[in-house]
Amino acid sequence: MGAPFYGQRLANVAVTEARQSASGKLEAAMHRVASAGNTSNSTRPRKEKRLTYVLNDADDTKHCGGINCLAILNSATPNGCDNLFTGSRDGTLKRWALSDNDATCSATFESHVDWVNDAVLAGNNLVSCSSDTTLKIWNPLSDAVCSRTLRQHSDYVTCLAAAEKNSNIVASGGLGAEVFIWDIDAALLPLAKTVDPKEEELPNGNLGLPLSSLRGMNTGNNMSFHNNQSRGYSPIVAKGHKESVYALAMNDSGTLLVSGGTEKVIRVWDPRTGSKNLKLRGHADNIRALLLDSTGRFCLSGSSDSMIRLWDLGQQRCVHSYAVHTDSVWALASNSTFTHVYSGGRDLSLYLTDLSTRESLLLYTKEHPILQMALQDDSIWVATTDSSVHRLPAEGCNPQKVFERGGSFLAGNLSFTRARASLEGSAPVPVYKEPSFTIPGIPGIVQYEILNNRRHVLTKDTSGSVKLWEITRGVVIEDYGKVSFDEKKEELFEMVSIPAWFAMDTRLGSLSIHMDTPQCFSAEMYAVDLNITGAPEDLKINLAQETLRGLLVHWAAKRRQRSGSQASSNGNVASSNDVTRNLPHSKIEMDDGAENNTFVVLPSFEFATDSPPSIVTEGSHGGPWRKKITDLDGTEDEKDLPWWCMDCVLNGRLPPRENTKCSFHLQACEGSSVQILTQGKLSAPRILRINKVINYVIEKMVLDKPLDGGSSDGASGLGSSTGQSQLSTLGDVSLRPGMKPWQKMKPSIEILCNNQVLSPEMSLATVRTYIWKKPEDLVLNYRLLSSLLRLSHIVKRGMLGWSGGSCCWMRDTDSSMRLWVCGRADIAAAL
Amino acid sequence: MVMGATGSKLEKALGEQFPEGERYFGLENFGNTCYCNSVLQVLYFCIPFREQLLDYYENNKNVGDAEENLLTCLADLFSQISSQKKKTGVISPRRFVQRVKKQNELFRSYMHQDAHEFLNFLLNELVDILERETNAANASPEASSSSSSSSSSSSEKVANGPSNPPVNGVRKDPFVTWVHDSFQGILTNETRCLRCETVTARDETFFDLSLDIEQNSSITSCLKNFSSTETLNAEDKFFCDKCCSLQEAQKRMKIKKPPSILVIHLKRFKYIEHLGRNKKLSYRVVFPMELKLMNTVEDPDTEYSLFAVVVHIGTGPNHGHYVSLVKSHNHWLYFDDETVEMIDESTMHKYFGSSQEYSSNTEHGYILFYESLGRSS
Repeated sequence: MGAPFYGQRLANVAVTEARQSASGKLEAAMHRVASAGNTSNSTRPRKEKRLTYVLNDADDTKHCGGINCLAILNSATPNGCDNLFTGSRDGTLKRWALSDNDATCSATFESHVDWVNDAVLAGNNLVSCSSDTTLKIWNPLSDAVCSRTLRQHSDYVTCLAAAEKNSNIVASGGLGAEVFIWDIDAALLPLAKTVDPKEEELPNGNLGLPLSSLRGMNTGNNMSFHNNQSRGYSPIVAKGHKESVYALAMNDSGTLLVSGGTEKVIRVWDPRTGSKNLKLRGHADNIRALLLDSTGRFCLSGSSDSMIRLWDLGQQRCVHSYAVHTDSVWALASNSTFTHVYSGGRDLSLYLTDLSTRESLLLYTKEHPILQMALQDDSIWVATTDSSVHRLPAEGCNPQKVFERGGSFLAGNLSFTRARASLEGSAPVPVYKEPSFTIPGIPGIVQYEILNNRRHVLTKDTSGSVKLWEITRGVVIEDYGKVSFDEKKEELFEMVSIPAWFAMDTRLGSLSIHMDTPQCFSAEMYAVDLNITGAPEDLKINLAQETLRGLLVHWAAKRRQRSGSQASSNGNVASSNDVTRNLPHSKIEMDDGAENNTFVVLPSFEFATDSPPSIVTEGSHGGPWRKKITDLDGTEDEKDLPWWCMDCVLNGRLPPRENTKCSFHLQACEGSSVQILTQGKLSAPRILRINKVINYVIEKMVLDKPLDGGSSDGASGLGSSTGQSQLSTLGDVSLRPGMKPWQKMKPSIEILCNNQVLSPEMSLATVRTYIWKKPEDLVLNYRLLSSLLRLSHIVKRGMLGWSGGSCCWMRDTDSSMRLWVCGRADIAAAL
Repeated sequence: MVMGATGSKLEKALGEQFPEGERYFGLENFGNTCYCNSVLQVLYFCIPFREQLLDYYENNKNVGDAEENLLTCLADLFSQISSQKKKTGVISPRRFVQRVKKQNELFRSYMHQDAHEFLNFLLNELVDILERETNAANASPEASSSSSSSSSSSSEKVANGPSNPPVNGVRKDPFVTWVHDSFQGILTNETRCLRCETVTARDETFFDLSLDIEQNSSITSCLKNFSSTETLNAEDKFFCDKCCSLQEAQKRMKIKKPPSILVIHLKRFKYIEHLGRNKKLSYRVVFPMELKLMNTVEDPDTEYSLFAVVVHIGTGPNHGHYVSLVKSHNHWLYFDDETVEMIDESTMHKYFGSSQEYSSNTEHGYILFYESLGRSS
């Protein structure tokens, strides 16, 4: 009998392929879960450093967050131009070259990793402070390189004060009642032993300084050493505050410092010693702004109780209180003779008040609360919670002139007087309708939603524009314009479940994406889904790994260049080994060649180089820092970058992960007679698609029934276990040599969960999240797809051959061979 | 069932002054059910509540096959008391107690139970039942939109946003029953970001205020502490939606809508860390007969008068006894399970607590019931 034999041989081929495949690819994808708890990697010694990247806007010359501070640097030469410095909630400072009717962004000072809260010019230095708890010193006219980071605060640094005529002295105040007084020149002195590896770019030889010696130097200092900071220099501490400080001011000579905050009292200090002089009471709420006249006799304060108060420090009392604003006063600026004060605040308004006549004038009111002002000749610059800065005319030398226009009112004594006046509708008309000049900013992102695919993020900015970002490339892929954020969010809902591999926030007005090891490595995708051509079907892409590669590709290239040139010039080839040796993780094996591997960045993870994202990380000695990925020069090592990022990018090593697998039980549907043998729990990658499970069931069905007639003992399985007539089909498989039968198959098995038929495209994780919805192990059920239909289908066609009693070959009407699995009884019945 | 001895004694004491139509009945104890008896007595003498419940009983008694629940059991019990021929005596709340135990396994054992927990459970259960009944009765679309949670509903809004005026009618009116009418108040939790100074207000409804207590203090000072400003700072900053970042913030609780019956629970049972268990605080906390609520948003002069106290007797949290003091028709009565006695208002100070830690007097006011003087209904 030729025909049956032929069939048998074909069947054998099929089985061998199936076996190979099952022991190789499929078993790799699905294996049984070890019974004992596998929690060996749960003991991490400490929290690893985090890597954050900030997606910058393409326009580098605009702020994207509110402007917290302003500083004017008057030109040294008569014909030179003045410079304006703006510090923003976007974490950067910018320098603007001012001309009569223009302002050009000439530098961006990028290094702070959180809001820049205040900035002052002290001699030849620009000093800024930030919610990142640091102060930074910059050369204001240089190409924006941070010359020193001062780390002494343990909480947000909210305010600074400089002494006009003693340019060395800068005071910093912050949350947690911390006030320090710095000698900037001393703080800038290069230190013989301790160096700041990042900002000073000293040769590598100095980096090996053991930490213990750093700590030793700090023992004489009774400040906290929370950050391993070590400087020969430590600032003077103004001790005695009980609560957070929100405002500071210093007189010209640097002999008097005033501070204010949530304690509602103004404290007066001698900044030379840090000793307390006196305390002034009067405000009923947080003190947000302070000014001292040049002599240090008079002090002006602005408070959240909406009052401005004038204090005579000699008499130690409040000599005037001005009810000008209808809400909190956040900013004060006075003319040089201290006869008039400009004030701005939460009520969106800018007033000019004559301190002696108590006459007040509304200069300007717009839609954003005013955060700071700076006077420049006959102009006043106004910073608000918006990202743009406005300039208004101001009679710098003779402010009285503005009052001649009329429209002024007399400031009251009590805080409610203005509020009442404004309620009664007697609100004054602003002198200036529009600013004379505006430095535009771009709208900051204020709302976001991470979409379920964990690659796309929907954002809304201050202008109401809704955009869709692909964060693994750092680009906007869709700009929806001004539409409803919530509706768009609903519209974009996708039923997929990908682990949360990053966290994010929008405090900088742009997207900050935070990655922590090992959680960030929990998300995987199939390469084919990223349209990577030529990728094997089962190739998995780790989202964090590819993102890190995309972020650090420039760094790695420069690093290779450097190590190459170093190796030839200095003979310093050991540097890369040092890196690996110093890595704190015990699992790392030495692999000298690994670093030389070049890597290709996949298109889906390629960040634009014209508006590159910035990397933010904690660093170690120099404190946290931020740099554009294209500005990394390859010298950044494990002291600057988290070791796990370097290990991932350079060596392709990922930390042991929990959670990339999903355990499940595979059971026949109730009433279904198809049974396959699966002992206990199965485990597979969370991203495994249901069609793989279908394939697995089919393969198992084939494997459980050896087709070869000789091993008839195994052949009893399917038919007898079901005990009833049931025809099982394997689907429409065209058997061509080398073609695995299930590759071209339409699903003839369906998988169900909670009685719901699953789409073959769904992943296990998706099923678990949206259909199973229980903490227990997932249970999937399988059943034949419309088996009755198949039965009739067979009956119409002739049986070609059969083997072993449970499978048969049939020649279909189109002359192709089809494999059918069935019970003996079924065939008999069918025939 | 009626035991004459105590009844007649009380009747004698009151004599001519025995209020017309009023009944003073003790409640039988089924083994550690004093937590239940003390609360039941207080609720019975909470006149608006009793009247509503008796109304409910009248309206529902003819619905033949109505399913038994806590509400029907309580209504039965109240009607049983009020319709007694005798003026005094003892009644067995057996059906009610059985129902409680059936409903909640917490109260099933013979362990000592917390009267405050029981009161809370009971009021919430009654609300749930009333809500279900209303929903079933008018299954019209408008009725189905009422909220399902009874214990608390909340809404959030920005109170001082500079550019957005207060939004009117955003908050959906939560389901209101006559239980709510009597006991529900609204607290508002105000958080002010210290950077942008935006105030976020979150309203919460309450049936009682649980107050932390201090030695030698008063209800007024405890209420003051309850509304005192707390600063969120350092590691515990507030995420401000306006600033999109963590900032310092000040937080405080205010009473937005004072309830007509103000229930104050004194936290006398406190978990002591180093002991690893709860301890009873016998602190002396003076409760006045007349109380003025200061920490309110509006209505600064909401005045209340004390009409009942649940007293815990004993030194520990896991054992002891509950009795209740009830003011009825200007007489103070002492309800101790089966016993009802008259006491003098001047002896109320005995229940304030003790200034020394170990004192022979272990009878301490635990739950205080004040009725609003402003609203008479």
